[in-house]
Amino acid sequence: MNAWLHFARGPLFQAALAFMLLGLARLFALTLWEAGRTYHRAGDKSIPTRQVLRATLRWLVPAGRLRNRWPYSLTTLVFHVGAILVPLFLAGHIALWERGVGLSWPALPNAVATVLTLAVVAAAAAVVVLRAGSRASRPLSRFQDYALPVLIAVLFSAGFLVMHPAWSPVPAKATLLVHVLTGDLLIFLVPLTKLSHMILLPLTQLVSELAWHFPPDAGRRVAVALGKENEPI
Amino acid sequence: MATPKRYSYHVEAGALELAERPRRFLEAFAAILRYGSYNLALDSYARMSAKCGRCASDCQLYQATGAPEDIPCHRSELLLRVYRRYFMQSGVVKARLFGGFTLTDHYLDEMAEAYFRCTACRRCKATCPLGMDHGLITHLARWILAEIGVTPRALVVSVREQLDGKTGNTSGIPLPALKDTCEFLEEELQDLYHVDIEYPFDVEGAEYVFFPAVSDYLMEADTLMGNAAVMHVTGASWTIGTGNYDGINYGLFYSDRMMERIVKNLVGEVHRLKGRKILIGECGHATRSAWYVPTFAGPDAPAVVNCLEYAHAMLEAGKIPLKAERIPERVTYHDPCNLARSGRITEQPREILKAICADYVEMTPNRTENYCCGGGGGTVSIDEIRPFRTRLMGKSKADQIRATGAQIVVSPCANCKKQLRELCEDNDLEDVEVMGVHDLLLRAIDFPDAGSPEDTP
Repeated sequence: MNAWLHFARGPLFQAALAFMLLGLARLFALTLWEAGRTYHRAGDKSIPTRQVLRATLRWLVPAGRLRNRWPYSLTTLVFHVGAILVPLFLAGHIALWERGVGLSWPALPNAVATVLTLAVVAAAAAVVVLRAGSRASRPLSRFQDYALPVLIAVLFSAGFLVMHPAWSPVPAKATLLVHVLTGDLLIFLVPLTKLSHMILLPLTQLVSELAWHFPPDAGRRVAVALGKENEPI
Repeated sequence: MATPKRYSYHVEAGALELAERPRRFLEAFAAILRYGSYNLALDSYARMSAKCGRCASDCQLYQATGAPEDIPCHRSELLLRVYRRYFMQSGVVKARLFGGFTLTDHYLDEMAEAYFRCTACRRCKATCPLGMDHGLITHLARWILAEIGVTPRALVVSVREQLDGKTGNTSGIPLPALKDTCEFLEEELQDLYHVDIEYPFDVEGAEYVFFPAVSDYLMEADTLMGNAAVMHVTGASWTIGTGNYDGINYGLFYSDRMMERIVKNLVGEVHRLKGRKILIGECGHATRSAWYVPTFAGPDAPAVVNCLEYAHAMLEAGKIPLKAERIPERVTYHDPCNLARSGRITEQPREILKAICADYVEMTPNRTENYCCGGGGGTVSIDEIRPFRTRLMGKSKADQIRATGAQIVVSPCANCKKQLRELCEDNDLEDVEVMGVHDLLLRAIDFPDAGSPEDTP
């Protein structure tokens, strides 16, 4: 058990983290590069910057957008707040960073982290139920849409039990191993799944705007490529 | 699997030639990705689409049908699946290792149906937490489908006449008929308002070269008389070009390739006349496609002004004298998606209407969040799908109009007006009159040079 735990917390975590960071950096860089290329080729380079920024900020902090399907929207908002804050600001996690790389930052009080952790577990379960129960999202859903919230629920449940071993039906090391392994897996999956929105979301409004900025001769060049430049309509 | 030979809309014979359609579709897709601007958006959307389904609750079609295939994200996924499989490395590798999705004729038919069940109104863009623009996907998918010949015949026929036909306009109106119509309108203005207003042709060096939806010359006499009246009372220098008098651009609805050619023709006519600005009439998509003038004709291209912007600026400057009494009927305003979704033209028509109407009411939601009339994206031209347009796609709009209790629905768009009239006919709203902003403005102008009725010959 100790050897497994050591492996999961050490090399496996480092590999997963490196994979995630490099993967996200690659996605971000590729998107920025392609955005620059699209802008450079655009015939009309006037971008409604303020509109794009406003939409970007509105969706990065979507608190004002809860009217639409409010049970689902509120659940996913709670889910996101907990899923972002707890991993980054849990005192136990920060202590590990300090021990590993000598960096530390202010932590959430443990009581707050506990409440948020339970909220994430409840919200993850609710997301699955609401997704499966809604006519508007069930037909759209893929395997990852169910698997990711389940994985996150297991990860956070195990994290809760690590913090509150008295509640745990299994030995503390076993819950810790489950917590670390599911965490490693989730970190590894970030660049490969829709979780990549954590790096792409700030760019998406700009991306959608740029797509409408056509190169001046795209139509003619497409016609030439398809051998249709002299073809009657 | 057997491929249906027919869609809910009529297509030309070429669309039913099935030889190697998937291959041809992928070749067109590849060329468009290479030379167009869509690669960036598709790549982002394909990676992070969360499939939350929020867009469904804002889509007026899904509200009416409740069918999974009418969820915007579901429709976009049809194209994104092809993109992932054939144009992303991960998709190509996955297909090599595990097989899976292959583009088939049957799948193409599903797309052909789906992307003309969407009006590309882009209302769901504002709802998507990930900022996906489903209207963009519809726009792109229609172009790729057009390259394998799958486009509603109504759209192709219009563009063919405009670009390759004798008359050079979508309604096939020959120049002598256009001049006759304008003479008739001049007589009407004299008879009804006792003013001499001229429709000027080929005036070199005019400030504004006027491009209405050419169908207005057949269908919207009052709008055109309103346009001319506004230009007259403001003393504008304007002209209609005999080389090109059609602002319609159905390329916007199915092919950037056609859109580019039509926009360039517009600019060519302005240059021929040594005009300075393009004045677009009451038409949503004509305006939006003319906003692409800088794209296709460079930064030195003539400026584009919509007639509502012009009339509003002139009204604000006090150059349009108005009668003391206001129009008494209850009036409401429908925002054409192509004017309002981007927020570019929402307040100008409202301020004009509030200045001339005694009982102006809003329909809700409005402005950038408006519902499409149900005939957007060129679908209004497809007569064979009228029941779909008026009973399903336009249902929310009919409910909105009914809730206002308005006697007049105003919309400054030729396509919206046609659709709204059919919508009212098909939804027990026969008493509601549909017209343009300039139709009402014409009634409200106090012509300083109006003669007395006795002066009229």
